[in-house]
Amino acid sequence: MRDYYKGYLFILPAFLLLLIILGFPAVAAFLQSFNLMWVATPSFTLGSYKALASDPEFLTSLMNTVIFVTVVVSSHLVIGLGVALLLNMDLRFKWLWRVVAILPWTMPDVIGGLVWRFMFDTLPGIVNSVLLRTGISAEPIDWLGNPTLAFLSVMLAESWRGYAYPMLILLAGLQAIPRQQYEAAELDGCSAWQKFIYVTLPNLKHMIIIALVLDVIWESRLFGMVYSMTGGGPGYSTQILTLLSYKQYFQFFNVSYGASMAVVLATVLFFISLPYLRMSMRQQL
Amino acid sequence: MRKSKQVWIFIYAALGVMFVYNLLPFFWMVISSFKTELEVISYPATLLPNEFTTGAYEKIWLQEGFLLYFKNSLIVSLSTAALSSLVGIFAGYGFSRFRFPGRLTLMTAFLATQMIPGVLLVGPYFKMLTIAGLYNTLFGLILAQTSITLPFSVWMMKGYMDTVPIEIDQAAEVDGASRLQTMFLCIVPLVLPGLVATTIFAFLLSWGDLLWALCLISEQSKQTITLGITQLVGQFRVQWSEIMAATVIASIIPATLYLILQRYLVQGFAEAAVKE
Repeated sequence: MRDYYKGYLFILPAFLLLLIILGFPAVAAFLQSFNLMWVATPSFTLGSYKALASDPEFLTSLMNTVIFVTVVVSSHLVIGLGVALLLNMDLRFKWLWRVVAILPWTMPDVIGGLVWRFMFDTLPGIVNSVLLRTGISAEPIDWLGNPTLAFLSVMLAESWRGYAYPMLILLAGLQAIPRQQYEAAELDGCSAWQKFIYVTLPNLKHMIIIALVLDVIWESRLFGMVYSMTGGGPGYSTQILTLLSYKQYFQFFNVSYGASMAVVLATVLFFISLPYLRMSMRQQL
Repeated sequence: MRKSKQVWIFIYAALGVMFVYNLLPFFWMVISSFKTELEVISYPATLLPNEFTTGAYEKIWLQEGFLLYFKNSLIVSLSTAALSSLVGIFAGYGFSRFRFPGRLTLMTAFLATQMIPGVLLVGPYFKMLTIAGLYNTLFGLILAQTSITLPFSVWMMKGYMDTVPIEIDQAAEVDGASRLQTMFLCIVPLVLPGLVATTIFAFLLSWGDLLWALCLISEQSKQTITLGITQLVGQFRVQWSEIMAATVIASIIPATLYLILQRYLVQGFAEAAVKE
């Protein structure tokens, strides 16, 4: 249409708002990490980044984040695909299953962290209680006091809480697969497994990539769940980058140092999201 | 597709496993909140309360100030959802209906902002709000959370509006409607389910936030419910039954919202995501 320039006016409020509340602080964090902003004597330095490379707490947190995101996102995709396949069938009480499937996702991650913390509590927690009653373990297990077990517990809790988001994306993808393709496969004598491999998965490829990238972004940004469940402990065995950056910035007031960690995280996330960005843009052309 | 009886048994068994897995933490949360202070810390834990009491709720709601936290959370989440949906309607309409130079670049920029972790922004934000005199205010918190929700709202609204045929705009133009009138009177009513989904999504993001409230609110009377709960933990006068009562209170709003509006949310989500 001729009045295409009016488009700018419609975008303007969002653009200005984001410039102030998002663009500016993002640039400020970047400058802070080089010691160039809000300091008495601004001078460019790579000091924070150099310190990162030899800080065992940072390196552990980085490693934890990578493991955490890999494990949690993989489990989300597997559980999410499984549940999406189930929900895509002609079920009785479909609405009930759908509600139950998504309910964990409605729970704020901070709250989820607290509930699971109590479930894993050594003495009054339900996990140890069930293990004792079923005779699997006579001794109460100190789930959140042991570094390895604590890390596993946090990953389990987030696997439970967050899978509905990729599941909904995959379900939407499943519903878009034309029925004729399955019918054709049946005529060719394909088994259910073959239909899954040769019809479902190829059609779903696009959505799996979207779900994968978006979930990696969400889980890398996770904060509340770990903060409330373990606080990063014991030691820093469950510490993830977001938590460490927050602590450096707001508890130890190492502003430049905390900012540099956040910049590292943001840079990695940006590169991870590139395929998704490119894909979305191609759709808009 | 016809399936044999065994296959259906397997399917419903799998659904049963999901049912238990998904609901167990909710069950535990609710059950524990009705236990007495003594029972909630006994070992091994009881699966059902021996003595049913609502004492934890009374204590949390009246003595620990959760009435106020709840109110603060409602104010912040409703305002954030309203602000980002309103601004999102305009931007969504702009991106969906106008082909202007730089449109694709701007859209990419909006999408890319979704990838920015809050922890990068929150430090400078603290400084900005302090300078602007908005530190430790609900208004400052609303602005901050909008930075997280707005990029989603814009893209979701654009996706829903793309499903409405452009002929409707053209017909409205012929009838002499301005662009604003077309947007509010013709397009928005048609994408109402999508608008609902967008608003709820922003509300849920805001309601569940901890990081921003933790860093931008210092006074107890301005805490949101998620922040209030984390402050309870570790205080020796507070029992697990009370913390669980608080988590029930904090979970009720998002869960209820979802139950009432799940049809819109799933449908809207599907439309926005599948569209290629």
